[in-house]
This record gives sequence, structure tokens and C-alpha cells, in this order.
Amino acid sequence: MSTVGWITARGLFGRRRFLMLVPLPLLLVGLAVLCRALGVAPGEWGPAVLVGLGLAVVLPVVALVVGTGVLGAEIEDGTVVHILTKPLPRWQIVLPKLAVATGVSAATVAVPLFAAGTLADSVRLGLALAAASALGALAYSALFLALSLLTRRPVLLGLVYVLIWEGLLGRFADGTRVLSVQQWVIALADRMAPTDLLGTSVSVPVAAVLTALVAVGFTVLAIDRLRSFSVAGETS
Amino acid sequence: MTTISAQPAAPTTPASTLDLAGVSRWYGNVVAVNDVSMRLGPGVTGLLGPNGAGKTTLLHMMAGFLSPSRGTVSLDGEPTWRNPQVYRRLGLVSEREAVHAFLTAYEFVLASAKLHQLPDPAAAARRAIDLVEMADAQDRRIGTYSKGMRQRTRVAAALVHDPQVLLLDEPFNGMDPRQRLHMMTLLHRLGDAGRTILFSSHILEEVEQVSGTVQVMVAGRLAASGDFRTIRRLMTNRPHVFAIHSTDDRALAVALMAEPSVTGVELGRTGLSVKAGDYGAFTRALPKLALRHGIRVRQLLPEDESLESVFSYLVEA
Amino acid sequence: MSELTGVIHDIGYQRYTGPRLGRRHVFGALYLHGVRTAFGLGRSAKAKIFPWLVVAIVLAVAAGLTAVRAQFGETVMTYAQFADAMSWLVIFFVAVAAPELVSRDLRSGVLPLYFSRPLPRGDYALAKLGALATALWLLLGAPQLVMFLGAAFTTGDGMSGVWHELLDLLPGLLYAALWAVVFASIGLLIASLTGKRAFAAGGIVAIFLMTTPVVGVLSIMPSRAINELAFLASPSTLVGGVGTWALGDLLVPEGQGGGMPIGDFGPVYAAAAVLLVAGCVTLLLLRYRKVAAR
Repeated sequence: MSTVGWITARGLFGRRRFLMLVPLPLLLVGLAVLCRALGVAPGEWGPAVLVGLGLAVVLPVVALVVGTGVLGAEIEDGTVVHILTKPLPRWQIVLPKLAVATGVSAATVAVPLFAAGTLADSVRLGLALAAASALGALAYSALFLALSLLTRRPVLLGLVYVLIWEGLLGRFADGTRVLSVQQWVIALADRMAPTDLLGTSVSVPVAAVLTALVAVGFTVLAIDRLRSFSVAGETS
Repeated sequence: MTTISAQPAAPTTPASTLDLAGVSRWYGNVVAVNDVSMRLGPGVTGLLGPNGAGKTTLLHMMAGFLSPSRGTVSLDGEPTWRNPQVYRRLGLVSEREAVHAFLTAYEFVLASAKLHQLPDPAAAARRAIDLVEMADAQDRRIGTYSKGMRQRTRVAAALVHDPQVLLLDEPFNGMDPRQRLHMMTLLHRLGDAGRTILFSSHILEEVEQVSGTVQVMVAGRLAASGDFRTIRRLMTNRPHVFAIHSTDDRALAVALMAEPSVTGVELGRTGLSVKAGDYGAFTRALPKLALRHGIRVRQLLPEDESLESVFSYLVEA
Repeated sequence: MSELTGVIHDIGYQRYTGPRLGRRHVFGALYLHGVRTAFGLGRSAKAKIFPWLVVAIVLAVAAGLTAVRAQFGETVMTYAQFADAMSWLVIFFVAVAAPELVSRDLRSGVLPLYFSRPLPRGDYALAKLGALATALWLLLGAPQLVMFLGAAFTTGDGMSGVWHELLDLLPGLLYAALWAVVFASIGLLIASLTGKRAFAAGGIVAIFLMTTPVVGVLSIMPSRAINELAFLASPSTLVGGVGTWALGDLLVPEGQGGGMPIGDFGPVYAAAAVLLVAGCVTLLLLRYRKVAAR
């Protein structure tokens, strides 16, 4: 199992695309530091930076790039065959990849969110944001990993989800908020460190249950789809 | 002359049989594989067919990467679909040359060995790499390799767990003649050691050199199986063609035309070309004829027993 | 007996010695092909889904606005405001179309085929850019035209009413053209950096998504100047700023005061927009001069 994880991690870090992820956390921390230094009231810049940039943009985008990269890239260039022609139960392939994706996403997002949250309010908020975003990273990673197996263009569909479902509709239609990972993360963080900076209409128990459901459900789906993975001809 | 530095070990487990029973695979209205039944035992078999005949589809079904729409594909009685344990005895070298470019050959084969949960992965990896003669380049990244080297690396990764059954899809693609000879020798030895090897190709000389046993696929159907010379003799609706040199070609030609087993005679500058409908009758009649007319036959060669002619007859049929 | 003559014709490989069309035709062909690619025309049905989905949405919104205006006589949005409102859809369209235009060529290694023809490298880049900008302008302009037609046919003032509508439409179309040029430049530049369509799309979206909260933060800074300059940070608000300065009250219907609070910095916005477009185009040209035709 660790071999799968090792190959996955090597594959992620070995590609240049990973550098694309670096500016996002830096921007987050940079803005937080700037606002704090200029003495702007946290109540004003908190929601924009923590939620508007951090949870609404940095978390989903990082999770998307990493989550589709751990399996989707291998499927696209055909190297997944090497991992599949081994007597490994398919969950021993999916779980390490999920762990790598979650770990990398969480590290990339939680650290700057912790810094920004601490600067905005308190260490408690920073920790709450870090923890909630880690859980969000898990849910997102499971979702995008499953998407990589369900469709040939997982990044595009993931973008549709993040931009249109969570972004556009989530702003205008309250009903869709219940089914948005972003809102669950906000609810969980708010529960751990209640603050005016975070607010959502989704209740905490619902958020917790749905996060767990998405994380587990999509992982199971991914495992099942991997069992029936088909390669037809030379152009897949 | 190439020398193989390492010998493949004889398998310690009994030989495996790959069994296909009435296997069909269709995509909507397109039938890619049409009711194919075959049994593959120890030795090397060539899967032959023009492009688009369904060879890759069949190979992927055997390797558990595609489920048959009808029929069963089984290895020693176990289905290959949705059964990862079958890979303990199966190795696949696919046609796509995709391989993790950021790993070195050694790391790649070692990872393969570890994923197979071998007791001593490092030794197995080194052995496999020696087998394909990649020992000098094994510590360079695969991204820097030539096509043939990448191919050999993938073969090493497929052989690292000493599989009973090895499936190769167009393995000689991109190999230079020396590498091809080496690979062919390797496959021969593996086959002689009792493993079941199936490789697909549309280059007939390769198949002729590596194996006499072929499975010919045309348009999704299995057109012929077995030794190709025997297949040729079974094709009675095609006349056999012989090239004959003799002391008096014209007289022999006249005499042969009277023979009932002969369907056509062509007199050329280099000799006679005779079409015979009945192989056995002709070969018995020729010596008697020549003796009666006092003609000495200097050379008698069957012209169309090569795999190429067998293949072209099957494809045209 | 007369002489029988015969001749064997040379029907082997023939060079083409006829007239050849010039550089403009090459450019035009590439440009037209680009516009068709942006909308998925001439390709499989799957390639048409995303672009035409966006087209359908903007047209539906325009139709809805027209219906409201016809029924209640109330202008919910002017033409220029419509362009602002559809910004996310435009971003999505760029994220889908720009990779189709340039990333596919990079990935499949056909650039040597293009550049070994009498096609200057700059022409290739500019033709693609023109195609994307045209596609975006059509995307925004067609619904605006729909709104115009609806208003023109239901106006109560006869010809002068139609004339007034036209005077409102034209600046709106110009504004849409501004959106098209800015977004096309940025989108195409990002897409030309990678051969994988997925990353190009993700990168384009990320750039736009990243900059929006920056605007939010800057607009609450203590300094008023910074607040007014905040909208430079994101391309959508940058275009909005230029629009507010150039078109002024055409961006808002009478009665609603405001527009974007950019104070006296209008010219700065305009200059910034010009610089942004010029910068992106230059980088795009440099990219194609340098890119190893794989």
C-alpha cells in the first residue's frame, strides 16, 4: 500500500503543475498580513479573505487539482494499467491515493488558513479553520477521486461543481447550500470557534453527517468503479 | 550475436491454461470480438490479425481489463474479470507505451515487485532487469529512454513476479532488430520452460520465427488456430502452388496438364509454377510422371506455405 | 499507312504551380476556424455541449429581461449591465474555449505543421486571439441584440423610441467588445502555457477566482485612494471600472445612482486595461515565438 502512496506522491510532486498551487496559499497569507498590518478591522476583511478567498477558492481549487491529479492523470496517460495488473484489492489502491490527495490538499490549505485565522481573530479560530478545511479536503478529495473514474473530463466537471453549483447557485439559491461542501466546512469551523466572521444557514449536525457521507460514499464508489475499470483499445 | 546474461527460472508451479469459451464483445452495433473459443496452454502462441481485427480487445479481455459481453474468460478456472488475484499468475505488457516517466527503470520494476508482495523484491527486480538486458541504464529516468528501452522495462515489470501466463500486445513495436532478436529468444525460452505466452502482432516474420502456433483473427472472428503449415494443408479450396525446376520444363508442363490433380501450369523463365488442387495426389503423381517421360526434376518447392500466404488467404476469405 | 503515334503521360507527383492565396487568406482561414472551434462547430456533439449551454443560458436571461420589459415597461438591466451580470458565464466560456483553441494544438504536436507553412508565428497567435475575442463578443452581443429587438418591437414611441434604443445598444455592444478583448487576452495567454486542457481551464478559472476576494479586501482598506483603485485587481471589475468611466450613466438606468465608486481614477482604469491587453498579447506572441514545436 505504501508503494502506491509513494508512486502517487512522486507523481504529484514531479510534475510542474504542482507549482501552480503555490501562489494561492501565499496570496491568502499575504492579504491577511497586509490587512492586519494596516489595522483594518477583522470584521471587514475576515469574511472576504477567510471565506471568500480561503474556503471558497483556495480549498476547492487545490483539492480539485490534487484530487484529479492522483488518479486522473494516470488514467489519462495510461500508466494506471501498471498499478492495476497487480494482485491488490482495489481498496488498497484507492485509499493510499485518497490519503495522499487529502494530505497534500489539507497541508496546502490548512497552514495558510491557520495563519490567516489567527491574524483575524484568535489561535482558536485558526485551529478551527485548519481542522474544518482538512475535513473539507477529505470530502473534496473523495469526490474528485470518484469523478476521475466516472468521467473522462473530471477537471471540467469539478469546475462546474465548484463554480456553478457552489459559487453561483450557492449564492442565490438557499436550497443548494445544503449540498455544498463549502458550506459544511464553514458550519464546522463556526462550531469549533464561534465567530461573527463565519456564518451559514446549514446546521452543524447536517454538515457533519453530510461531510462524512460524501467522504465515505464517494470512496466506496471509487473503489467499485476501479474494480470494473475497462481499457478498450490503444486510445482510451 | 546476443548472449542472454540471465536465464528465466523454470516455474515451480504447474502450467496454467487460459480458457476462452464463446467470448464475444460488442459496443452498441459494432461487434469487436465474435464468438471466439480457444484454449492456450504452455508454449508460445502468436495472435495474428490485421489492424482492427479485435486482437487488442481480446487481449484486454484475457487480462481482465474488459468484460466479455458474452462467454467466459478464465485462467485455471477462475474468471479474469474483477479478480485481482489472477494477477499472481498473469503478466500483461500492453501496447500503449505509457510508463511513469519520473521513475528510473529500477525503481519502476522494484515498485512492481513490491506491489506483487514478493518476499525479496530487490533481488527479483534485479533479476528481471538482467533478463531484459537493461542493467546498464537502470538508474536513469525512464523519461530519457528510447522507445525500445521503455518497452523492455515494461516487459521486466511484467516478468518480475515470474508469471505463468504472459500476454504481450505488439511487443516488438519500436524495437531495433537486435532487441527484437533478443526478445524473441527470451520468449522462446520462457515458452520452452513451460509458460503460456501469447503475443499479438501483425508482422508475420516475427510470428513465424517465434512460434509455429498461431491464432488468426479476422474481423473479430477466429479464422484459424494451430500450426500454420497444417492450416495451409487444410485449406483445400485453395490450390497449392509449387515451383519446379527440371531438365525439360515444357515437356513436363504438357504432361502435368493432363494430370487431374493439376489446375494450372505456368511456364516462366525460371521454371514451372504449378497449381495443384489436391496436394496428396499431386505429390504422388509427379515422380511417376517425370519417370515415364524421362525428365529429371531438379527442384520442387511449395511456394505458398509461408505464414504470409496463409494469412493472406485467410484474410481474403 | 499513316504514322501511329503514342505517348505515355507523366501522371506521377505534380507540383502545384497555380496561383496561391496570400497571407491574409491564411490568417482569415485560421481565424474563421478558431471561431467555429470556440462554439464547437465542425466537431462532435460532445464538444458542443459546454459552449452552447452557456449560449443558451445567456439567451434565456436576455429573453427573460425582454419579456419583463415588454410586460411591465421596467428596465431591469441596461445592455452594459447585462454584460457585467454575465461575467461568470463569460469566464466559464473562456475556460472551455481557450484550451480548445490552443492547448489542443500544443498537446497533439501539430505546431510544426502550422509553422512550416507560410504562416508567421505571430499571425497564428493573433488569429486565435481574434477568434476567441470574436466568439466572446458574439456571446455577449447576441443577447443584447435580442433585448434590443424586443424593446424595439414593443416600444410605444415609434421610430424615435427605436432610435433611442439603438443609441443605448451601441455603447452596450462596445462595452461587450471590451469584455471580449480583455478576457480573451488573459484566457488565451494562460491556455497557451499548457497542453493539457484541464489544467488550462483550471488555471483560467483560478486566476479569475483568486482576484475577486483581493478586490473585496482592497475596497475596505482605510485609504480612499486604495478603495477606488481596488477594482484594478480583478479583470472583471477592471472592465467594469473602464465602463463606468467611459459610458458613465449608460451603465445604470435612470433613477439608480452610482456605478462603480472609482472616483477620478477613470483614466487610470482605461490605461490599466490597455496595458493589460497589450501585455498579454506581447507575452502570447513571445510564447509562440519561443515554444518548441514538439
